Amino acid sequence: MKNVLCASALLLSSALALPEDLARSKALVSMEPAGTTAIDRGKPGTVELQFRVARGFHVNSNQPKQEYLKKTELKLDAPTDIVIGRTIYPPGEDRSFPFAPTDKLSVYSGDFAIGVVVRPLHSVLPARYAIHGVLKYQACDNAACYPPKQLPVTFEVRVTRGQGRGKKNPRQSPHAHS
Amino acid sequence: MKRDPVILIVVAMVISVMLVLGVRRVHHLAVVPAGKLQGQPAPDFTLTTPEGKTLKLSDFHGKAVLLNFWATWCEPCKVEMPWFVDLQKKYGPQGLQVLGIAMDDASPNAISTFAQKMGVNYPILVGKEEVGAQYGGIDYLPSTFYITREGKVLDHVFGLASRSEIEANIEKALRQQVATK
Repeated sequence: MKNVLCASALLLSSALALPEDLARSKALVSMEPAGTTAIDRGKPGTVELQFRVARGFHVNSNQPKQEYLKKTELKLDAPTDIVIGRTIYPPGEDRSFPFAPTDKLSVYSGDFAIGVVVRPLHSVLPARYAIHGVLKYQACDNAACYPPKQLPVTFEVRVTRGQGRGKKNPRQSPHAHS
Repeated sequence: MKRDPVILIVVAMVISVMLVLGVRRVHHLAVVPAGKLQGQPAPDFTLTTPEGKTLKLSDFHGKAVLLNFWATWCEPCKVEMPWFVDLQKKYGPQGLQVLGIAMDDASPNAISTFAQKMGVNYPILVGKEEVGAQYGGIDYLPSTFYITREGKVLDHVFGLASRSEIEANIEKALRQQVATK
């Protein structure tokens, strides 16, 4: 039994871990695990997503200075009745690189955070909701660039009832006549 | 013979996963590692220019070819392009042909505009993934292959190279015919 399991594990790992596949799938940007953010329904809340660019690499910011460069962009698909509002990108860091020492590129390197404004509609049932999407990026190091990639992004929001019950109709006196 | 159902389940799972991976790999393009190309005939390909003209690598047989994979979004590629322009002028009369393959998702029009802006004086071709796979899978840009007059891969360089390194490789590729004559 043990032997069979070991052989199976070996077969599986060799099938999964061919070096060229690993090189091709190397994620140059990773996402830190995002906790659950509580947001009152009917109100906007901001979720902060933390990303990390692998050491020695950089990605273009959301507003690269050169028109041909691929910007870093978050694309999200929200469940029904949860509205994804503004995406708040950090400003890029202006840096020059050995391949073009006189040019400044607007880039992210190391850690960076992207804020997402999420607004659950009044009609949403209080519960946890997963929001999925991708971070589109294109990475380079000091001498080469890598094809554009998409990093899967997932985070969770916990929709709460909130303190108030939303906008109510003004109370009217049944005797108020004019 | 009594068989443990757990073993059967594990074996079935492993076989299923391997089948799925196998199918995926068959569908995936057959990638020849670039290192294995050295000294081998350069894989022939047919690609079109952004203007729609068809070109084959074999059209340039008898010339030393500098095959440069690049993209509009690749800043280091932009550093090399003016060098290639100069080197095409300098070594063109001796039999050098620079070819640029744009591994880009930009439109042919955008590629053409970009190349014009860079003052490119050599053919630019719109790349295809299968051509990249023939050359080892182009995971880094720029990637440059030096092909002898006989059509064999002399060397390849991934990433930005120095102008002197490029020039030395061009001279080697041009000399190759002299050596074999």
